[in-house]
Amino acid sequence: MSEEAVNKENQGTQRQKYSEKEAARVFDQEFMPHVNSMYNFAYRLTFDEDDAKDLVQDTYLKAFRFINSFEQGTNAKAWLFRILKNSFINEFRKKSKQPAKVDYNEVESYYNSDDVDESITTDLRVETVQHMIGDEITLAMNSIPVDFRTVIILSDLEGFTYEEMSKILDIPIGTVRSRLHRARNMLKEKLSSYAKEMGYNK
Amino acid sequence: MSEFSDWFKNSFKECYCDRGNLVDEKRFSEIIQLVLDNEADEESRAIFEEKIRTCVKSNGNYEREKCVQETIKQKLCEHKQEIPEDLANTIKKSIGL
Repeated sequence: MSEEAVNKENQGTQRQKYSEKEAARVFDQEFMPHVNSMYNFAYRLTFDEDDAKDLVQDTYLKAFRFINSFEQGTNAKAWLFRILKNSFINEFRKKSKQPAKVDYNEVESYYNSDDVDESITTDLRVETVQHMIGDEITLAMNSIPVDFRTVIILSDLEGFTYEEMSKILDIPIGTVRSRLHRARNMLKEKLSSYAKEMGYNK
Repeated sequence: MSEFSDWFKNSFKECYCDRGNLVDEKRFSEIIQLVLDNEADEESRAIFEEKIRTCVKSNGNYEREKCVQETIKQKLCEHKQEIPEDLANTIKKSIGL
């Protein structure tokens, strides 16, 4: 990730000039508290403990290197998530041990097409979800394409607003809304199929 | 006025027939999402709340969607990966803190 890319997050704000001591304090007090969320996000993207660890370490190294682009009092968590997401897309996916990912543009254009909702279930019952355990729901979520999984993680697990997600993902806020809706429908579809297989609906 | 005010008004109108009955449940589920995610502005939220107070079908859809979404969220949050013990220290060491 280039310095320019990191700076994009702080467009319109003053570039800082921290002393060594100040930089260490900002890093420790504003960045480090998010390490658990960062690791969970990385793990849900990579599905591998070592890869997740590497991705988080790499993100923190970049954050420190470009710390002068970060303005104190702004949203450190969103800034870090943006760096992590970009690292994952630009560098990590290329050298990942995982098989090739689904072509995102293809997936999104399919899911944005008018007829897609025809296949999406709306009959997932509350009781069905309540009977499921966390493992089953996590497995279902892991099976949806990474760009759709990402919006669910950012919104439902990390509590980011649509505006924050728009900045993290570099997409218009309207796309955040529609992508999140598609993603949740995809997850419900997976859960519904799984419930049928397991006989939960009987 | 929020980013979604116009979108809300247009979509809401399309969800109901002239007699005020809910006819487009799929579109309504998008509206429910906006409300549950706290992204609807005050005016939109008031219109929504008034409708679910007076329309049984809308209310049923809302309650079901809310419950499913909350349950999924809760179960996903409970199922977090254990953080490697040494991760924070390794990061601090790597930048010399």
